[in-house]
Amino acid sequence: MKPMHPLLTVAAAGLAALLLADSATSQRPRRRPDGAPPGAPTPEAPPPAEAKPEPKVESWTAIQGGDVYLGDGTILRRATVLIGDDKIRGVGHDLQIPEGAHIVDATGKVVSPGFCIVHASGFGAPRSGNDVRDGLNPFDPQIKMGLAAGITSFLWTSSGGSDKPGGKSCVVKLAFGDLEGMVGPEDTVVSMRVPLNVQQMRAFRELVRQAREHQQKLRELEGKEGTKPPKAPNGTEELLAIMDGRKTLWISGQPSFGGRFGGGGGPSEGFGVDQIRQAMEIAELVGQGVVLDVPVAAWVIPDEIAATGSMVIDDPRSRTEPIPGREATTGSNIAQAAILAEVGVPVAVTTGGGGFGGPSIGTGGILGQDLNTPTVDACYAVRGGLPNRRAIRTLALDAARIMGAEARIGSLQEGRDADVLILDGDPLHYKTFVEIAFVNGKLVYEKDREPFYRHVQR
Amino acid sequence: MNPTDTSMPMRTALALGALLAAAAPVAAQERSIDIYYGSKPTEYQVAITGPATVESPSYAFRCARILPVTSPPIENGILLTRNGRIVAFGPADEVAIPDGYEVVDLGDRWCIPGLVELHCHVAGRGFDLNDTVHQTNPEMRTIDLVTMDHEALRNALAGGVTTTLFIPGSGSNMGGFGTLTKTWGRTPEEALIRFPGCLKIAQAGNPERRSGDLGLTPLGMNEGLRRTLETGREYHLAWEAWQRGEGPKPELKPNLEYLRGLFRHEYPIAVHTQIYQVALQTIRQLRGEFGLWTIIVHGTFDAYRLSEVAVEAGVPVANGPRQYHFDRGSGWGSNSRRESEFVGLAGEWFRGGMHGFTHSQRGVGIDGIAVNTDSPVIAQEQLSLQCAMAVRLGLPDEVGLRAMTINPARFIRIDDRVGSIEVGKDADLAFYSGDPIDPRSFVEATVVNGNIAYRRDPRRPRF
Repeated sequence: MKPMHPLLTVAAAGLAALLLADSATSQRPRRRPDGAPPGAPTPEAPPPAEAKPEPKVESWTAIQGGDVYLGDGTILRRATVLIGDDKIRGVGHDLQIPEGAHIVDATGKVVSPGFCIVHASGFGAPRSGNDVRDGLNPFDPQIKMGLAAGITSFLWTSSGGSDKPGGKSCVVKLAFGDLEGMVGPEDTVVSMRVPLNVQQMRAFRELVRQAREHQQKLRELEGKEGTKPPKAPNGTEELLAIMDGRKTLWISGQPSFGGRFGGGGGPSEGFGVDQIRQAMEIAELVGQGVVLDVPVAAWVIPDEIAATGSMVIDDPRSRTEPIPGREATTGSNIAQAAILAEVGVPVAVTTGGGGFGGPSIGTGGILGQDLNTPTVDACYAVRGGLPNRRAIRTLALDAARIMGAEARIGSLQEGRDADVLILDGDPLHYKTFVEIAFVNGKLVYEKDREPFYRHVQR
Repeated sequence: MNPTDTSMPMRTALALGALLAAAAPVAAQERSIDIYYGSKPTEYQVAITGPATVESPSYAFRCARILPVTSPPIENGILLTRNGRIVAFGPADEVAIPDGYEVVDLGDRWCIPGLVELHCHVAGRGFDLNDTVHQTNPEMRTIDLVTMDHEALRNALAGGVTTTLFIPGSGSNMGGFGTLTKTWGRTPEEALIRFPGCLKIAQAGNPERRSGDLGLTPLGMNEGLRRTLETGREYHLAWEAWQRGEGPKPELKPNLEYLRGLFRHEYPIAVHTQIYQVALQTIRQLRGEFGLWTIIVHGTFDAYRLSEVAVEAGVPVANGPRQYHFDRGSGWGSNSRRESEFVGLAGEWFRGGMHGFTHSQRGVGIDGIAVNTDSPVIAQEQLSLQCAMAVRLGLPDEVGLRAMTINPARFIRIDDRVGSIEVGKDADLAFYSGDPIDPRSFVEATVVNGNIAYRRDPRRPRF
């Protein structure tokens, strides 16, 4: 017998979970299909279209009166966020609220984009495999824990490249209960690593040359009828996508040796200046900014990184000790995010490694080290000098850019996905909790209705 | 930061309010624990202590706010230090700066006492401190490993940590004796506070791995502990009898000497213990049966349900680094919700609650709870983050600050020297850019024994 397709298995499990979930909550008032709580006025038809035809919206939600963090560092005091179905339809002070819109009062609260996590695993996504769709579980309880932490999307990756770009990726959204809604932009990111040795670098240059040649041929054929476009040379597919700006190239470096428990190896620079410069050379070759995936010493050459339009994933707490005698150009620096931001380099933060924390442990580590508190790493970037207001970008706009998905997520702007948090204070304060989370315009988390943190009352 | 600045974020204002209220009267359920120290030794016989005075320049530190912890906050303060001690502190208009004092102006910084860490494995360079030579190892000690010149200690200073209890690892059931040391000193001898600082015992969640056939489970481990402690007690009693003129002079046994100090109550046992059943074992066997001065370190998972047992036994709790218990079934938090909740451990230990019993359990109170990192499990410099996470899940702010200063100092009984800003105490200070619990606040300067041991470089801050 042919085995059941993995997706069908998931769907069956999902159906079972849905039935179970339904019976378990049957004594509670049912949530309406539009995501509005019971008792809310039924939305009526939106106002007639004016100049341009408005999208046909079934359901409107207006989050009113909160301090709105747009995700780019801007804060609008006591403003409104208007959600229509799964998208944000407007943010501002003078929005016209469609009649019948469901009103959420956020007075005294903070409204922010859902956090975008560049390194994570779990949250209903498969741990391995080449197609994220084969293993998604929209009823994974960890999704709710992620939402409680403010996480609404993360970059799922599988089998990255080594000496040339490769790997699969997908922005996975924490759309609890919605299998299709979990799949965000796919294959926006490919990865490779440095250092490349002389032969590898030569091979890489040759691939770039072939890709350029191919691009040139395509340009020459432009407008000419009846000619079949040539096939891209072998191995240049990912490079062409990077060069066209369809995919973002992440470059990781060689990790440093040693480690916190001591022993092993001599001093090592890790992803230091030499490796970063090679990554910058790659950026120049492909003609696009790249993403430096947790460099150690990007703070030494911020201008060189800014000049290529590259971006950086920073782990503010990780430590690489400087090489004795070369302190000015080696070793990590908690001010790295601040120094890079100062020259305009977008920076996302990630949670450090270690046996009890880090991205692979998800929400199962030690509090303050795992993804139950993704804001802690932004806090340490602030400790290193990043302005507090700008630090939200490390989890919002800049993180979304680094994931190649800023057209969809990472900021509260008209047309973006309605992934919105309502928080009870400054997003980066250690006592702040997520009260409500929307993903794709659907209410997916309420602190007072979920067991995790509702006992914490102040 | 100016406290009247209306642009101050709401949360900071709240935190500040709570910190300023630190000296307010304590509610009934927050009453303090009566820590069991045993019969206090009149003087150290087994333990050695560091120098009584340490040379240091005479400084007059100016800053926006002083949080002494054991007395009300002071706005716009001056703090005088000389020869390693605090000689005066108060509002700037009340403290005259005598001649010969160098003024160090720290502007809008906040001054708190240097932080105290009871669970540190990094005061020597990065060695593995888990050694099981015998089934129990009372002959082992960390004092020989203390080195001042290495990165982990410099990082500790950048995190405001000035005192650590440097203990053997938990891979061994009875791992040996720990050292109480400052995180800065010209020599380890100068940095020394007391040796032994404690005996380290580990009862579950690590020691199982190295004990082989002898004590792979709690049965065998408890038997090993009991036998060794019995031997130590006999040895101790023989010396006591001889000193009273009631018996022959015992033969000197170096491997039992430090156990003698344990039974003289010169220092406690710091017990790596977690999970209800195991922590109960700790309290019954070590504190109850042997009458030893006992501190729980870790105290994680569902051990918080013992809060009343601990408070009755006079056993304080240095909690962490996990800081929460995700209770998937029982949900025995203070609200007795039978659902999966993130139980904030320090808050539950402190406050007590139903904890699944038929009546509310007393908590260990404002003096009975500390936080720790188990460095390098969590980097030493992140001690205050442990506090932030404890406060996030329900420990009150003012208890949070105590949990990394005066409380751990009191548990280990060095509160006459460190843990708060008081005249005559060691000049161990940390100057923060704001609320010291907030991980966004950085340490501008750290002072140990009156010496400026760390100054922040804004282009390359250590932490």
